[in-house]
Amino acid sequence: MDGSLLYGRHLRRPIARLCRSCSNRLGPRLVRSYASASGAEPDIYDVVCVGGGPAGLSLLTALRANPSTAGLRVALVEAQDLRKLRAWKLPPDRYSNRCSSLTPASARFLDQIGAWSHVQRDRVQPYHEMQVWDGLTDAHIEFDWASTSSSSGGAGPRTIAYMTENLNLTSGLLKRLDELGNTTIFDGARVENITLGEETEELDLREWPVVHLAGGKQLTARLLVGADGANSPVRAFAGIDSKGWDYERHGVVATLELEGNGWGGDDTKIAYQRFLPTGPVAMLPLPGNYATLVWSTTPSRAALLKSLPAKEFIALVNAAFRLSTVDLAYMHTQSSGQADELAWRLQHTRFDAHSVPQTVTGVQEGTVASFPLRMRHADTYIGQRVALVGDAAHTVHPLAGQGLNQGQGDAESLARTLAYAADHGQDIGVKMTLEPYAAERYAANHVLLGVVDKLHKLYAVQSGPLVPLRSWGLSAVNAMGPLKGFFMRQAAGERMKLF
Amino acid sequence: MPPPIRLNGWRVARPVHRRPGSPQKSIPIYHPHPTRTFSTPPSPSLSSTVSADEISHFNALASSWWDPHGPSRILHLMNPLRHDFIRRCRGSVAPAPCGSQLSYLDIGCGGGIFAESAARLPRTQRVLGIDPSPSVISVARAHARRDPLLSSKLAYANVSIESLPPPSPSLGKSPSLGKKREGEGGGTYDVVSVFEVLEHVSQPAAFLRHCAPYVKPGGWLVLSTMARTWMSWLTTIVAAEEVLRIVPRGTHDWRKYIDEGELRGHFLSTGEGYWTETRCMGVVYVPGLGWKEVEGSEKIGNYFFAVRRNPES
Repeated sequence: MDGSLLYGRHLRRPIARLCRSCSNRLGPRLVRSYASASGAEPDIYDVVCVGGGPAGLSLLTALRANPSTAGLRVALVEAQDLRKLRAWKLPPDRYSNRCSSLTPASARFLDQIGAWSHVQRDRVQPYHEMQVWDGLTDAHIEFDWASTSSSSGGAGPRTIAYMTENLNLTSGLLKRLDELGNTTIFDGARVENITLGEETEELDLREWPVVHLAGGKQLTARLLVGADGANSPVRAFAGIDSKGWDYERHGVVATLELEGNGWGGDDTKIAYQRFLPTGPVAMLPLPGNYATLVWSTTPSRAALLKSLPAKEFIALVNAAFRLSTVDLAYMHTQSSGQADELAWRLQHTRFDAHSVPQTVTGVQEGTVASFPLRMRHADTYIGQRVALVGDAAHTVHPLAGQGLNQGQGDAESLARTLAYAADHGQDIGVKMTLEPYAAERYAANHVLLGVVDKLHKLYAVQSGPLVPLRSWGLSAVNAMGPLKGFFMRQAAGERMKLF
Repeated sequence: MPPPIRLNGWRVARPVHRRPGSPQKSIPIYHPHPTRTFSTPPSPSLSSTVSADEISHFNALASSWWDPHGPSRILHLMNPLRHDFIRRCRGSVAPAPCGSQLSYLDIGCGGGIFAESAARLPRTQRVLGIDPSPSVISVARAHARRDPLLSSKLAYANVSIESLPPPSPSLGKSPSLGKKREGEGGGTYDVVSVFEVLEHVSQPAAFLRHCAPYVKPGGWLVLSTMARTWMSWLTTIVAAEEVLRIVPRGTHDWRKYIDEGELRGHFLSTGEGYWTETRCMGVVYVPGLGWKEVEGSEKIGNYFFAVRRNPES
C-alpha cells in the first residue's frame, strides 16, 4: 500500500530517450526512420495513446465506450506496470495522498463512459460548501449552494465537487477499459524514440508517427495522443513548445485525521482554503474524519514540513488555518517545539472555531510529500497526427483544484471530436479533423490558467493598496449571491460560456 | 437527328457581355432573370458535358486540393454535411437490411475529399471516384496512398461520366455480377454523388441523364450545387472570389448555377417512374463557424439535393 506513494504523476511518466535538440533542429518532418527497412509490415493503430494517467485512460475508455469509435484499433503505452494499478486496494482507514477534486462535469463524463461505477465510491467524498479567506485580512467568502438561492431545488445539499484519490480514479478507469476489451496495452513500456513512417510502393506513411518501444516493438499511429505528462515526449516530437513559469513554490500534500467528521457532519462536508502570502493552504474532506492537505509554500518551508516529526507537522497545519501570518512565519523558523508554541499562541488568538477546519489530530505515516508548482501551456494542442491532452497540454496551479478536471475535459472533447470524425469518414489523425478539439479546449483552458495564475499572484502580495482591495473584493463577492453562484458553477466545472 | 430538348423553362442562355481584356476574371454581370442552357447539342461531343476550360481550371487547383488552409478548405469543411444529408435521405425510406454494405460512385471526385471519406465509413463496400481532370485524379491517387485503410475500398478513374462503361441492366439487381465488373467501373451504386459539379457543367440535363443508369434501384442520386439568385451571386462570386478570396477567382460561373425547382422539375419529368421522391437541404457558410443547415436556404444559395431511383424501375 505504500507503493501508492510512488505513483506520483511526475514519477510515472515514460521517459523517452528523445534527442530534443535534434528533433527541434531538424523538425519533425526530417526525423525519418530507416531502422525498420527490413520489409516488415508496419503495425498500424488508429490511436496510440502514450501515458496511462487519468486523461489518457479516460480518452481510451471514452473511445471504446462509444459505438462510433469502438471499431478503432487503439493502443495504450504506459511506463508503469499496470498490474499494481489493477490490484490497487487500501484498507478503509488509509487514504492515498494524491487526491483531486472531481467536478460534477467530470463525474458526469466518467459516468457516461461507464467508469464511475468502477470507482470505489465509499472512498469518494462529495463536499457541499467551501470556506475561502484571506490570511492577512480575514475577509471571508463562504460558498454554499443554499446562500446562492437559485436552482438548488431538490432535497439535500448540492455537491460542489467529489474528493477522489487519483489512484481510485485511474484504477476504476482501467477496470472499465479492461471490461470493454480490445485495447492493446503495452505497460512497463519505455518509449525509446518517436519517428515518422516510410514510403513504400503501396503506402506513403511519411507523416505517420512511429512509436519505438524498448525491446524493438514499433507502433505506427494514425493519431498519436500525448497524455504523457508535463515533460511530454510526444509534445517534443511534434515540435510544440510549451510556455510558462515556475512559481518557486512546492505543493505539500498529506492525509490527515481530524478530531471529528467535520462541522457539518457527514451530510454537509466543507472544503477550506486560506490564502497565505506564501500560497494557499487547503484542507479537503475525505470520508469520515479524514482529510487531504494541499499546501502551496516556499521550497524551504516545504522541506521543513517534510522533515518535521508528526506532532510538530500537525501543529503547523493547525496553525496555518488559525494563527496570524506573522506567528506562522515565526513557527517556520523553529527547528522543533511547534506543538508547544501553537498551544501557547492559540490562547492569545481570537478566531471562530467553526469557520476553520476541525483540529487535525494525526497524519498518516508516509503521506507527507511535495512537488514543484508550475504553470505551463502548450502553444497548440494539435499537430499533424498528434493531439495533446492533460498535463502534456497544460499544467495549472493547484489552488482551484482544476488540473485533473481540465484533463478530463480534454479527453471528453477529443473523444467527441474523434467520434464525429469517424461518423463522417474523416481521417481522425489529420490536423483539420482535430481543429474542433483545439478550438474548444484551448480557449477554455487558457482562461482558467490565467485566472488561477492571477489569483495566486494577487494573494502573494503582502502590503500596499492591493491588500484591502482584494479583501473588499472577496467580501463584496460574498455579499452577492448571483456572482458567488457564478464562481461556484465554475468550480463545479459547468461549461464556461465565453463564445 | 432529334431537335434540341427544352424542359421546364431552362432556356438557351442569352449572350453575356464581358468586359474586354479580361474575359475570365471579370465579375459576371448579374441578370435579374437569368437563364440556364439545358439543350442537348445536335451532335453531342462524345468526350464530356464538362468544358475544357473547367477541366484546366481544376488542373491548376490540383496541387492545393488537400491543403487544409488552401483554396479547397471550404469544401473540406462542407464534407461532413454531405454524409449527414445522405444518411438522412437513406433514413427517410424503409431501412436497408442490417449489415448491408454500400457502394458509391463519386462523379467529379476532384482530389477525393468525399470519395476518401465515403471509403472510410465502416459500412462502405467500395467507392469509385471519377473525374475528367488528369491532374486532380493523380492528386487523389497519391493522397489515397497516405491511408492504408483506403486501398481495398477506393478506386479512381480518369474518365468523364460519358466514357464510363455503362452498367448492364441485369447487373443492377445482382451484386455478385456487379463486383466482377468493378474494375471497369460498370455496375450500379447505392449512392451516386455529384458534389459541387453541376455548376461547372455545360449541359446539365444531358449530364444528369448520363448519371442516371448508374444508380441502383432504390438507390440515391445525391448532388449539391447553388441556386441562381442575387444572393448567391453576391456571396459566391463577389464575396467569396473577389473580396474574401476564400475561393479561387474564376472557380464559378454564376450563369451555370441551378435552382432547386429546376432540378426537381427535371427529375420529375424524366423517364416514366424512373425517379421517385426528392430531398433537399439548404446550407449556409458562416465564416468562423463553418457550414450550417438553414431551412429554406436552398432558395438562396448552396443546397444539397437528392432523388431516389424507383426500387421497381
